[in-house]
Amino acid sequence: MSARAAAQERTAWLFSAPVLAIILLVFVLPTALAMALSVTDYSIYALADWDNLRFVGLGNFVDLFTTPLFWRALGNTALFAVLGVPMAIGASLFTALLLDDVTVRWKPLWRVLLFAPYVTSIVATAVVWRFLFNERSGLINRLIGAVGIPPVDWLGDPHTSIPAILIFVTWKIFGYNMIVFTAALSAVPGDLMEAARLDGAGRWGRFRHVTLPAIGPTLLLAAVMSVAGFLQIFAEPYVMTLGGPAQSTTTILFFMFEEGFKWWNLGQASAVAFILFLMILALTLIQTRVGKRYEWL
Amino acid sequence: MEGDARGWTRRSTLALLPALGVAACARSVAAPAPLRLWAMSWEGDYSPLLMPAFTAATGIAVEVQSLPTTASHEKLLIATAGGALPDVFMLFNGWLTEFATIGAIAPVPDPSIVAGMFPGMLDATRVGGRDYAVPWSVAPQVNFYRRDLLAAVGYDAPPGDWPALRTMALKLKRRRPDDFVFLMLLNWPTALINILSQAGVRPLRDRDTRANFSTPEGQEAFAWYASIFADGLAPKALSTEVQDPVAAFAQGYFAIWPSGPVTLRDLAQRNVPKHLWSTARCAGPRGPGALSGESASLCVAATTGRPADAWALVRHLTSVESELHFQRAIGNLPANLHAWASPQLDQPVLAAFADQMRYPAPGPKVIEWEQIQLQVQFAAERVVRGVETIPQALAGLDTRVDRILAKRRALVEAGKLA
Repeated sequence: MSARAAAQERTAWLFSAPVLAIILLVFVLPTALAMALSVTDYSIYALADWDNLRFVGLGNFVDLFTTPLFWRALGNTALFAVLGVPMAIGASLFTALLLDDVTVRWKPLWRVLLFAPYVTSIVATAVVWRFLFNERSGLINRLIGAVGIPPVDWLGDPHTSIPAILIFVTWKIFGYNMIVFTAALSAVPGDLMEAARLDGAGRWGRFRHVTLPAIGPTLLLAAVMSVAGFLQIFAEPYVMTLGGPAQSTTTILFFMFEEGFKWWNLGQASAVAFILFLMILALTLIQTRVGKRYEWL
Repeated sequence: MEGDARGWTRRSTLALLPALGVAACARSVAAPAPLRLWAMSWEGDYSPLLMPAFTAATGIAVEVQSLPTTASHEKLLIATAGGALPDVFMLFNGWLTEFATIGAIAPVPDPSIVAGMFPGMLDATRVGGRDYAVPWSVAPQVNFYRRDLLAAVGYDAPPGDWPALRTMALKLKRRRPDDFVFLMLLNWPTALINILSQAGVRPLRDRDTRANFSTPEGQEAFAWYASIFADGLAPKALSTEVQDPVAAFAQGYFAIWPSGPVTLRDLAQRNVPKHLWSTARCAGPRGPGALSGESASLCVAATTGRPADAWALVRHLTSVESELHFQRAIGNLPANLHAWASPQLDQPVLAAFADQMRYPAPGPKVIEWEQIQLQVQFAAERVVRGVETIPQALAGLDTRVDRILAKRRALVEAGKLA
């Protein structure tokens, strides 16, 4: 290695050092500490007196696996992810395709309007949506009432609470991926599209064989981010239903928040965090493998 | 360019910014920092009204922060762990054992500070035989009721025992089938805990280390609660669904609302006409009985650097003048017995509160009580929504509460906890 390359390497390290130090301090260190906490019974009694702290090994995990609410929260989170990811990505892709059409006018205006929910405050929008979902006076029930469907107690019925929150979440976040897809769609080669059209490919054929391969990597990225995001869903159930009705919208992160910060069972809460971390890691690895098979990575 | 390098350049100007930031962190030494007070609910919003008198008398400025009630427990716990508690703060009485145990609050240094306070409330603020807080208000629940709606079915006031109350409620429901008789939110445990208390449930046993809900009393209380919803006498609703209970009460969506003195202020602020409503003691199985109240107390942080000033503020806030001022402003009922001699408190709508205050039923003094109350509410909600039967729900509740109490049980058995 020449002296010049060594100097360059030193400079590179010097420039990345601040960021690396911050990552070490606010990411690696807390993660390690949380893992250490997850094998103790750190609770409010330990806050009172350190002598009450015990090493419990995998005790917290064993406890969690026998807690019905933990499994309930896991199931609810899975439901959020399984329904929410296709809903959110589908809505994003659909609107992006609509906006990509040459016949659409005032494109920047539409983009701004559709992106706006993403950047508005979640609490403010949740309050509005709670009014929309109201069983007696809500706009949604009036609309479905106009076509003869009886009123639905959206946020009050344990069966409709997750779909109701998902409608709100989809409306709130689809704008972000829509912009990402819009950018990706502009890279779809026009001449290829033209050639496919001349060769008699239909609308679906062109989407499947021209558009999709071109936006594949973007789609994978959006899927990875959405899955990670939906597994960590917290704010929406927190402001819409506080985990209710009958704990039907209690998610993993909500469960962790209540255990950790409300009741100060930080040992248990850290164990939950660790499990969630492993879940997201595993799913992301699977997604990357799928992506590699289709040569999107 | 050479000349520029010695004068103001963009780079040197930018370099000044961090320097300015550091300078801004330096504390000015001129005036002493104000005392800090945290309070929840209307108390938090209206405490600044009580401060000019204190500042005028002592020269000490006070900075008040109002905490949202639903997030206050975690905020106070986190502040304790992070060493960021204010000098003085409000606690609901049910949380006192917890905050005293973790060493967040200082014991009352001088018995004269709590002299003249309501004896039932003082019991609730005692942990291990020491006073840890000064009662600020008394807040038992009573039934707020719509006089006109009850009069229409021939009643002046809701009956005090469950069978008669039920007869009245069914009459009212027949007359107004689209509306409800009661409002008891399915995620707001106070009304349910009061029903348990009225039925004579003793929630914990074995030195408060085990749950005790699967009892005939527990069955009776849950059966009464569930029947209210099963008969359509109350909506199966969460607090997030009934966004404006005051307006709903004014519109006659429901006729009877078990609630605390905080509702006095709500009704006055929304101009609900006074002739439309009144209050009565909550019904029990065989007539009104003892109730726990969500009363509030004032505490001084163990970490405060100015204990003398802090206790002076507590003394001011719990004085007769301040209590009467608060009663006029927000309807709070004074915990200071001397204040009750004032003609200001001689109002018909306060009679039910004054009566109920004489029968306090404090909850178990364990750290986990807040968490247990929510579990009771979850169990009742499962019965109301038809997910579980009453015996199943009570057995499940016992199991969950026993788990919550596991750590406490181990400590009590090891002799580390009284």
